[in-house]
Amino acid sequence: MTSPAPTAEPLLSAGRSPTRPGRVTVPRRLGAALPTWDLIATKHLELRKRRGLMITVAVMIIAPTVLIMGLRLGFHLFDPAHYGPAGSPSVFNAIANLMAEFGFIVAAVVGAAAATTDLNDGVFRYLVITGRSRLALYLARIPAGLAILISALAISFTMLCLVTAYESVPQPTTVSMNNNISVPAHLDQAQLQTWAGQHPRQAGQAFFDILSGPGSGQVQPSASVASTDFTQYTSAEDTQFNPAPNEMFKIGLWLGLEIGIGFLVGLGLGSLTGQRTLSTILLIGLEIIVTPILARAEIPYFLNGQRLDVGVAMDQLRPAALAPATPGGGGGPGGLLFGGRGALGIPPMPTWSMISVIVGWIVVWSVVGAWRMMTRDA
Amino acid sequence: MNAIDTRAVSQYLAGPARWTAAAAVPKGGLHGGGILIVVIVLAALGFSVTRMRSRRHTAQRDDDWGRRPPPAAPPPPTEPPAQATLVGLPAAAGSPVGTGPANSPAPRPAESPGTAPNGDPSAAPARTPRRAISFERPADGWAVETHGLTKRFGANVAVNGVELLVPRGVAFGYLGPNGAGKTTLIRTLLGLTRANGGTMSLLGIPVPAQRSLAQARVGAIVDEPRFHPHLTGRDNLRLLAAARGGDARQRIGPSLERVGLAERADDKVASYSMGMRQRLGVASSLLGDPELLILDEPMNGLDPAGMHEMRTMIISLVDEGRTVVLSSHLLDEVERTCDAVAIVDRGRVVRQGPIDELTRGTDAGSLLVDCADPARAARLIDEAGIAAGTSLTDAGLTVTLPAGSSRELVADINRRLVGSGISVYGLQETRASLEEWFLSVTTRLGENP
Repeated sequence: MTSPAPTAEPLLSAGRSPTRPGRVTVPRRLGAALPTWDLIATKHLELRKRRGLMITVAVMIIAPTVLIMGLRLGFHLFDPAHYGPAGSPSVFNAIANLMAEFGFIVAAVVGAAAATTDLNDGVFRYLVITGRSRLALYLARIPAGLAILISALAISFTMLCLVTAYESVPQPTTVSMNNNISVPAHLDQAQLQTWAGQHPRQAGQAFFDILSGPGSGQVQPSASVASTDFTQYTSAEDTQFNPAPNEMFKIGLWLGLEIGIGFLVGLGLGSLTGQRTLSTILLIGLEIIVTPILARAEIPYFLNGQRLDVGVAMDQLRPAALAPATPGGGGGPGGLLFGGRGALGIPPMPTWSMISVIVGWIVVWSVVGAWRMMTRDA
Repeated sequence: MNAIDTRAVSQYLAGPARWTAAAAVPKGGLHGGGILIVVIVLAALGFSVTRMRSRRHTAQRDDDWGRRPPPAAPPPPTEPPAQATLVGLPAAAGSPVGTGPANSPAPRPAESPGTAPNGDPSAAPARTPRRAISFERPADGWAVETHGLTKRFGANVAVNGVELLVPRGVAFGYLGPNGAGKTTLIRTLLGLTRANGGTMSLLGIPVPAQRSLAQARVGAIVDEPRFHPHLTGRDNLRLLAAARGGDARQRIGPSLERVGLAERADDKVASYSMGMRQRLGVASSLLGDPELLILDEPMNGLDPAGMHEMRTMIISLVDEGRTVVLSSHLLDEVERTCDAVAIVDRGRVVRQGPIDELTRGTDAGSLLVDCADPARAARLIDEAGIAAGTSLTDAGLTVTLPAGSSRELVADINRRLVGSGISVYGLQETRASLEEWFLSVTTRLGENP
């Protein structure tokens, strides 16, 4: 037990006169909409001490990386002849995609919990009684919740990147294309064009499009590399090479955005409904049922409706190392997750509309959640 | 005293039952169904853990007093239990109204509950002298002021044009049966729900226009005190202190000490009993060093010792110059603790004012006269026409005092009897209790026995 330090003047003053003006100091920022650091810290404490919630975060964000990488490291350590190094592009790809899916779900769970625990525990009314702006109470939940999620993501993703970078097979110098034709790595489109001109026979076998041109079946001496061929080349490169550090950083940011969106939507929906379970179920349904359906194939006369789904927009934004573009869609490496995610099966939307959809989801749900919190009976 | 059907009163006041009790993956190897199952299993695991903890917390709610530190002043053995207070024990002799200046309440002597002035521990607890209360408008506004305050839930009018004036520096009871609209009024005052009509102010500050300013000087417990069960009492106060800002954080320790929870402050609230939660609720309401405390049913769930401690604490808070508004359906508790009351019935304030003044207006006062010749004394008093009636009982002569009579009448009766040569051995005056008055001004007893 800690006892309070003695003070010169009692903090709960006896003999105080309520008629004395100015006796009570009203905190200057009491009505301000911006949360104080103290408010954020205590909200973080409140969430952090929910054991079940923290276990869920750990299990869904950190545990997959630890388990998979731990097992692979162990197998390779004890039996290197049969088990290759732990890190590989495909493992990185799979775990990062898993992290995105589970991350969104657990972020929605944390968001819904952050929105509803004060209500469910009956503390909300006591927070309102303090006179603190309800908007500030809402806004305090955002950094508090994100701090937990981003910390977990940072731990997990850093482990993944480290193992991939330092415990991986030596990086090849060539890219294996169709018919096991090796093409030099790290070429841009012009360099690939030059290589194709210098090696028309290999290029014809490596790139289907060249073979399918006029005079199919014959090697074209001046074979040109179409943009689809270059896309195929970069896709193969992405799957056969570990992501570069800058690419890893980009993937980390994208994962952070995915988790942030999950949290903010969960927070807004939880605040709107006041029910944690309902909000969680709805967002899990969105993530693993609705979005894969909308992202997989174009629905006649509903393309723009499909594009309004934040999951579709985030798929389009998915870094190339996680979702190699596959013309025609649906068949890329990421496409195997949840029946089609990771590669858009629908015509991509303009960049501005993709950004609008993502920002719109964040803003709309935040506004809805804050509005409900400000108008709700406590 | 008038005979009272105590069972009917109990049922009327108790109303409906209250809720007091408180819940390396290979690509392509992981399909949507598998993920869904994993998610459901994890979610179920999480919820199960939460529910198990919640059940454990609920089971631990009532263990309480065995582990809490002993109360500073052990309660006297004759403290009546809550049920006894509900049906109302007869009040002791009426108390004089204080004569302090307006808006300058005189400190009340320390209460000695459970013991009558004559020292008989079996007698009813004495009502201590109340503060002088002025219902003239204070210069800096009333502690609480409402005009035409209305709150509807659909067709149900929970607060119906309430006109309420609470003076500063007093303990003010807001009294009514369950479902009368007490909590709704408090929630409306505190901005927890919006009013449908009327105006209100707290400490002279209009709300909701300047709610933040007003609420910074107000502490409250609304309904049952609720906290995050997975946090300690201290952490819960930290949360509320952070919301309050200012010096509130520095008051956590003193507040916990004041309510006697310092030793259990670092235990999880889940392990607290109802009484400890009530005390933690009071501690939380003290974080802002409030001028006005609004306590909604603070005696709920408390055992007699806890009720005694709560009562003592409320009185001490008022003695410090704070205003305490105490909402309750426990008539006896309000009568013992408060200086003034407002009676609410079906969402309306039907009467308000100092308790002594309100109860004086009833005709239920009586005087038990122990004298040498009761029959002759009765004739004498009847002939003088100074009493509402007389009756002879085994205990002696009972004189029914007229409504609004002062204590001087008792002295007059004594003078007349002694002057007529009748030896007077004792006079015991019994004034109407708050409960009797309450029943006389409310209307539902006959409708809902």
